[in-house]
Amino acid sequence: MKKIGILSLVLLLLTGVLAACSGGGSEKSSGDSTDEEVKLTWYMIGTPQKDTKDVMKEVNKYTKEKINATIDMKMLDWGEYNDRMQVITTSGENYDIAFTSSWANNYALNARKGAFLGLNDLMDKHGKDMKKLIDPAFLEGAQIDGELYAIPANKEVGQQAVLSFNNELVKKHNLDISNVNSIADLEPLLKVIKEKEKNVTPIATFDAYLPFDSILQEELPFAFRLDGNTDEVVNKYEEDITMETLKTMHEYYKKGYIQKDAATSTDSWPLETPNWFVRKEIYQPYAEDVWSRSAGYEIVTRELHEPYIFNNSVTGSMQAISATSKNPERAMMFLNLLNSDEYLRNLLDKGIKGTHYEENEDGTIKDLPARVENYNMPSFAIGNQLILKLYEDDPKDKWEKFEEFNKNSTPSPALGFYFDSNPVRTEIAAISNVTSEFSPALLKGAVDPEEYLPAFNKKLKEAGMEKVLDEIQKQYDEWKKKQ
Amino acid sequence: MHVLLGSFAFMCIFPFLYVIIISISNEQSLAENGYQLIPEQWSLDAYKYLWDMKAQVLQAYGVTIFVTVVGTFLSVTVISMYAYAISRKQFKFRKQFTFIAFFTMLFSGGMVPFYIVMTQFLDLKNTMWALILPMAVNAFYIIIMRTFFLRSVPEAILESARIDGAGEMRIFLTIVLPLSIPGIATIALFSTLAYWNDWFNALLFIDDPNKIPLQSLLMRIENNMDFIKQNAMLSNQNSAILKSIPQDSARMAMVVIATLPIALSYPFFQKYFIKGLTIGGVKD
Repeated sequence: MKKIGILSLVLLLLTGVLAACSGGGSEKSSGDSTDEEVKLTWYMIGTPQKDTKDVMKEVNKYTKEKINATIDMKMLDWGEYNDRMQVITTSGENYDIAFTSSWANNYALNARKGAFLGLNDLMDKHGKDMKKLIDPAFLEGAQIDGELYAIPANKEVGQQAVLSFNNELVKKHNLDISNVNSIADLEPLLKVIKEKEKNVTPIATFDAYLPFDSILQEELPFAFRLDGNTDEVVNKYEEDITMETLKTMHEYYKKGYIQKDAATSTDSWPLETPNWFVRKEIYQPYAEDVWSRSAGYEIVTRELHEPYIFNNSVTGSMQAISATSKNPERAMMFLNLLNSDEYLRNLLDKGIKGTHYEENEDGTIKDLPARVENYNMPSFAIGNQLILKLYEDDPKDKWEKFEEFNKNSTPSPALGFYFDSNPVRTEIAAISNVTSEFSPALLKGAVDPEEYLPAFNKKLKEAGMEKVLDEIQKQYDEWKKKQ
Repeated sequence: MHVLLGSFAFMCIFPFLYVIIISISNEQSLAENGYQLIPEQWSLDAYKYLWDMKAQVLQAYGVTIFVTVVGTFLSVTVISMYAYAISRKQFKFRKQFTFIAFFTMLFSGGMVPFYIVMTQFLDLKNTMWALILPMAVNAFYIIIMRTFFLRSVPEAILESARIDGAGEMRIFLTIVLPLSIPGIATIALFSTLAYWNDWFNALLFIDDPNKIPLQSLLMRIENNMDFIKQNAMLSNQNSAILKSIPQDSARMAMVVIATLPIALSYPFFQKYFIKGLTIGGVKD
């Protein structure tokens, strides 16, 4: 009995070794050449679409011809993408390409963990076309310790918070928004709306804008200043500007400009319902047109600051090649096509010509009902946006405006610095607990900052704030020296 | 006493009533006034919306019903057979098998190993089996059924059957099972509920939109709403994405159609249910 057990164990191990050998062998043989047809598995974020199969058939015809590979795109819905990818990564499942970003399937974390392949060499070999097209700020800012781990989608590189206004109300009450440059400037306008419009909430709940570049998540306290001494990491909740801004927000709250349940509410404030006056959004060129179109009435914007290039904005939408991929070279060739080949990019984004969209004589396009209903893809998440066809009602210079916007964006002081949070993991967990207790109510103006900010900061200190700040500063200084 | 019980019963039913009310409220008045017990305007738009996406809803319904029926049947079969075997003293390895089942109640492998086993060893990704197999055997129900068989099937009956020449399978099917209907019905109800309400396995293993069960569809919609609201990065695309997600009243309508059938089936199980649960408490 015992012997059989040992024998079977040996057999099992042997087969394991053999399997490993053969696996290694095939990997080598795949090489640079595209002689052998391969199938690439691609995980994408977004609601699965009905017509994906038909479109992918077309895509595969094209990619097979170009790089002798077929693509198996698996779309995972917004809300589950993060969890699913985490399980897939930890289980070591074999896949080739996956969407990654600062807000889903965390780029920096996965790259540090070794889940993604380093792409510098691969890109030089098989990604020349896209390298020419993608804004260099993306390729530089997204590098972690000198290595790029995912290909950023070329789009607006800067991030700019704006206030957007319901123009119907602006016109109706003859308001002047041209002087609004900060949240504090809103006061007289909000007052009018509050008095004259019973059914309108003046402020569609938002977090106050604070001029910092946040490390890790936006609401966590660690941040670099954008003005003044930008080389020092600070607790942004201890800064004067924070106190000032939050006081304004609380003032508005007390006057009834903000909904009473702001701190806990998760209302989405749909644009189609005109029951708001002002809201905060992230801008990109001509965004107001897009918003107005989906709202059904005009929306106008005022910027809160110049566009900055943050880590979060350069890593906003990327495609990574998995460390478990058996065909990283082919995957890179596909990404190269995806980001530089107009036909493929438009096919994936807009669907099949004649079925999903119609092309006008001047090269602009018009959606057909099939696209709206059955093939509505998240454009920004797929790849290079600047080679997409324009809609007939798009401004002709849309992509030029994007390039201009990118040129005018200022890099944040900490652009390219990715903090390794491992040494202070426990402290960060404690701090994020404290933060989630205080920050929603504070940032939305629901509580008095004079009372709650000091209490918040005291708790942060108890949770190990100093230690984390020191660690960030240490890593930042080291990183800075290498620049 | 009646008033007390009545109000307690009302408290139990009230949330569901509220859901029904929201599902037939006008979307515009929901956006303006929030949830109200008596909305300003009634509307059946939410159900019309569901009717428009009936292909997807019906598909999900079909998956749920299939998984529930097959799953319940399978799990009742496996559980009752396993429990019967370990309840008989003649079975030599009964202690070992009891321990195997019991052990899983104390320790589990965790999510990642579970995922690896399901996708890489069993290769069940994107199959209906991924929705059925993980919940087919429940150690706790095995223990309940074992106790049930011990208590309600006297050894003497089995003895006489054996003397009359019946084999093990025959004894189990024609004597043990009919005697144990209350217990089996209880297990069946539990399994039905578990399968009907399951969304997690689909979240882990199903990418194919045609194989998503109803609860999972609902869960996806809720998760998407939360996710999109929390991520400012998406705000540029926000309106387009939000538009593809059902509004409040439609979501509530979905809750109604997902819950109603199982709630309505409850009375049919009920008479067994009470008997089945109390039986363990009686000492004879």
